[in-house]
Amino acid sequence: MERLKHLPTLRIAARQPITLRFNGRTLAGCAGDTVATLLYGSGERIFGRSLKYHRPRGLYSLDGECSNAMMTIDGMPNLNAELTPAREGMRVEPQNVMGSLKWDLLGGLDHLAFAMPAGFFYKTLHKPSWLWPRAVKGIRRAAGLGVLHPEARFDQRCDAIYPNVDVCVVGGGPAGLSAALAAAEEGLRVALLEARPRLGGFCDYRVRADAQGKPLHQWAAALADQVRARDNIRVFTDAPVVGAYPDGRVAAFQRGGPEDAFDLRYIEITAAGAVVATGCIERPLLFAHNDRPGVMQMGCAHRLLHTYGIRPAADAVFSVAHDLGLEAAIDLHDQGVTVHCVADARTDGQDPLLIAALEQRGIPLRRGWVAHTAHGRSRLRAVTLGTPAGTFRQRIACELLVASAGLTPLTGLVTMAGGQVKYDPRTGFFLPVRLPPNMQACGRLRGLHDPAALAADGTLAGLRAAEGLGCRPQRKIAAAEAALAAAPGAPRGSKWLAAPGKGAKTFICFDEDGTLKHLHQAMAQGFDVPELIKRFTAIGTGPGQGGIPGHNLPLLVAAGQASPASDPMPTTVRPPLVAAPIAAYAGGRHDMAKRTPMHDAQVAAGGRMERVGEWFRARRFGTDPGAAAEIMAVRTNVGLLDASTLGKFRVFGPDALKALQRVYVGDMARTRPFRTTYAAMCNEDGCVIDDGVVIRTGDNDFYITTSTGRAAQTVEWFRYHTRYDGWDYHIVNLTDAHGVINIAGPNARKVLEAMTADDVANTAFPFAACRDLTLAGGIPARAMRLGFVGELSYELHVPASCMETAWRMAEAAGAPFGIAPFGLEAQNTLRMEKGHVILGSESEQRTVLHDLGLGFLWCRTKPEAKTVGALALRDTADQPGRLKLVGFKMETPGDGPPRDGSPVVNGRIRGYVCTARHSHALGEPVGMALVEEELARGGTRLGIYEDGCGGRLRYGTVAPMPFYDPEGTRMRI
Amino acid sequence: MALNLNCPICGPRSGYEFRFGGEDKGPRPAEEGATTALWLAYAHLNRNVAGVQREWWCHKDGCGTWFRVCRDTVTNCEVPTVDTL
Repeated sequence: MERLKHLPTLRIAARQPITLRFNGRTLAGCAGDTVATLLYGSGERIFGRSLKYHRPRGLYSLDGECSNAMMTIDGMPNLNAELTPAREGMRVEPQNVMGSLKWDLLGGLDHLAFAMPAGFFYKTLHKPSWLWPRAVKGIRRAAGLGVLHPEARFDQRCDAIYPNVDVCVVGGGPAGLSAALAAAEEGLRVALLEARPRLGGFCDYRVRADAQGKPLHQWAAALADQVRARDNIRVFTDAPVVGAYPDGRVAAFQRGGPEDAFDLRYIEITAAGAVVATGCIERPLLFAHNDRPGVMQMGCAHRLLHTYGIRPAADAVFSVAHDLGLEAAIDLHDQGVTVHCVADARTDGQDPLLIAALEQRGIPLRRGWVAHTAHGRSRLRAVTLGTPAGTFRQRIACELLVASAGLTPLTGLVTMAGGQVKYDPRTGFFLPVRLPPNMQACGRLRGLHDPAALAADGTLAGLRAAEGLGCRPQRKIAAAEAALAAAPGAPRGSKWLAAPGKGAKTFICFDEDGTLKHLHQAMAQGFDVPELIKRFTAIGTGPGQGGIPGHNLPLLVAAGQASPASDPMPTTVRPPLVAAPIAAYAGGRHDMAKRTPMHDAQVAAGGRMERVGEWFRARRFGTDPGAAAEIMAVRTNVGLLDASTLGKFRVFGPDALKALQRVYVGDMARTRPFRTTYAAMCNEDGCVIDDGVVIRTGDNDFYITTSTGRAAQTVEWFRYHTRYDGWDYHIVNLTDAHGVINIAGPNARKVLEAMTADDVANTAFPFAACRDLTLAGGIPARAMRLGFVGELSYELHVPASCMETAWRMAEAAGAPFGIAPFGLEAQNTLRMEKGHVILGSESEQRTVLHDLGLGFLWCRTKPEAKTVGALALRDTADQPGRLKLVGFKMETPGDGPPRDGSPVVNGRIRGYVCTARHSHALGEPVGMALVEEELARGGTRLGIYEDGCGGRLRYGTVAPMPFYDPEGTRMRI
Repeated sequence: MALNLNCPICGPRSGYEFRFGGEDKGPRPAEEGATTALWLAYAHLNRNVAGVQREWWCHKDGCGTWFRVCRDTVTNCEVPTVDTL
């Protein structure tokens, strides 16, 4: 269809064509179109089929207020075509269609609507009980929106920002713009959020002249230019607000254009003050078949024409109840649309200038008339207008019916933030009567309509917001108040509710196919509160978030109630106000990981890197899943492990010892200078959360290590548990500052000797000692002799910046022995043979110190320390019914070790395998398991259920630990 | 969502930067003579008031300090410190 190219209000680039694929056909539009306007402009009238009855649905609003325009776009279902900008090459498919859009195979459901009253699914199909699972399948197929294909990929770029401003203005119409300007002129930082792509609100597409004779769109554009020119106003367009919260926070999500670095952006604004200028949406007119394609809202028709240059139809009938409708009729007529008739539900109160303009154009105006029925099936053919009681009727053939019962203010943000609204019978609006602190409301949502009044009201709101933040714009406030008083006040609203009749095809809610009849049925069954009726009939619970029924429902419920004095009660508005993709909330891809200084060197050496907590670590070198060569190297020769991920801390200060006594269950007063002490931390329940070593390096100075996973929480943990004490100590996290090289194996000393001139003989540097060494080239290294893998082993803590040099030095020093790096898999087997635990593998949330056989780490004689977990350790020391850690061997070693995590089943599930591996040192599989205490005695037979074992258990026997070198001589050589 | 806190070191910051540390229950009870019930109450039982309560927060993404604030659990807003809780 040819576009109108010379309108001053056009927001499309008519000479930049865009094509997309819809339902297998190529359609053309132009840059600036949304998918919906492109389809409409190409002559598409049916956009989809409705949820329950598969009725054809078309373009109704342009702001995503109903699911009519929900489509699958580029594989993503349920995107609203009204809100999705058209891009070249898009693939668009209609939804909930069986067959074709025009001839839907389930279209006949519409005739069965009488059999599906309100609450139908709640009340039927559950008896007999076998029916329901089958019915569900059918219902799911027939009803529902788009289908998410398993291969669909969400490839949009998401982002999140958290701006901090003084005043957040929601709404970029005349009031919002004025408010932003007023606040900005007081020197405040302002954020302005607008849901549509352009500022200007409902003036952006209007050519009517204001009091000074200037077209409204020019007036609004001038206001928008002033806003954009200010450095202290940050404007977000295409950013619908999803919620406002009592602590001055406003959340929105923004669609990015082609030049933006994001497709979806979550915006959470923290503001000291907020101005809500969200304006109005339209209240749908209720009459029979009000959902037919060809029936649309007045703003929709008006914007199609003026913003997108599309003549909505060749001829039209209007049934409206607001001056904006009369204005739309005049503008449509002026652009060549034949307007047969304008029915206005109001009997009086119209703007005389508009009446004169209608008369001048020869358009008949029927005061007090409304639409009764829309005719035609897949598109509108005619409409019956009539007086409310139906005494006079007239049928007029037309392509388009512009229907609207008036306006509805968007007060959701006000109530969400803790304010209150009350029904005002004069305007017919729910008007804000109590605002949350630091929030102002202005503009059309307060019932105003005249542009001058909106500007004055917006200015006033902006100034009041500034006043709340300590500015003193008293004179300006007085001027704005005077301007507001001089401008026309709020116009009277239409009282019109619904055309007479049962309303079986009068749709209150398009999303859920909820009709007037459903509402009457619900009320006949005793439901009397809109909130409950909403839940019972599902009216207003669809993807449009109540945009269509939100206002009509309370009015109809109040009108249907016995007491005529009862005030309409609005339903509760909750976030998100508009459908927001969850990905938008998640923001960017936050998967951040740390690499040790040896990351690249290990990759070069064939290391298979894996995520371990927040780190990348080498699981194994080479392809052998059991890492046998690495294990044998450590047992018989020497290996090199990058253990930089260990948590490392310095704790110092006069009260450092007290702090250690608080969090470690052992007696830290007994630590000796430069001797490693194995120690454990428990939580209040006595459950082990961390183990590591503590080294006293000075009078009030300690060096401690923690497991990789606990490193991030340790500082917080220390401070939390000493928060009442006011102790004088410091804890410094050195995890990232120090790298750790573990040299392990019988030849480890020879390697270390080649790296340092210091004496590292067994006498000078015995097992469990800690020495500050100087490596060749002057690299300082804190070395400890530990026995985690059960061999002679040195742990060198070196500054991270020297880590690579030290590693290369160790490689060179070990070259004569054929030193090779080993990974986590080898370490896991090696330590398991020694019966050493890794917390998280050999423990779970409930595992206390005693369960691991580590009860000896707990010191009972330091009650003055008020140790975390001490009381629980006392209570669990002899507690029956706990899972205990045991070692086990397999009855048929040839079958290999059972898988980690396999349940231990002796009659019932009585534990599980923690870690089991083939032990190269022993030549048979060994493992550790947490089992019930009765099974923990040596020699007990454990039945192990493995996935896929087909019910044939494998058997192991409880065996003493450690499996390897029980006397521990090898780590002391 | 929608919580701002005043860190004693860093000033007003977004609630996302903090970790909740539970109600302010006073210093740890003495270990000697403590019963299981007493320990349980200290470690796990909360008053869960609907209204103003004093509680611990950690500025985990900032200075790392633990501090006490009063918060109205009904509005989820920080309120001026009340000493009489």
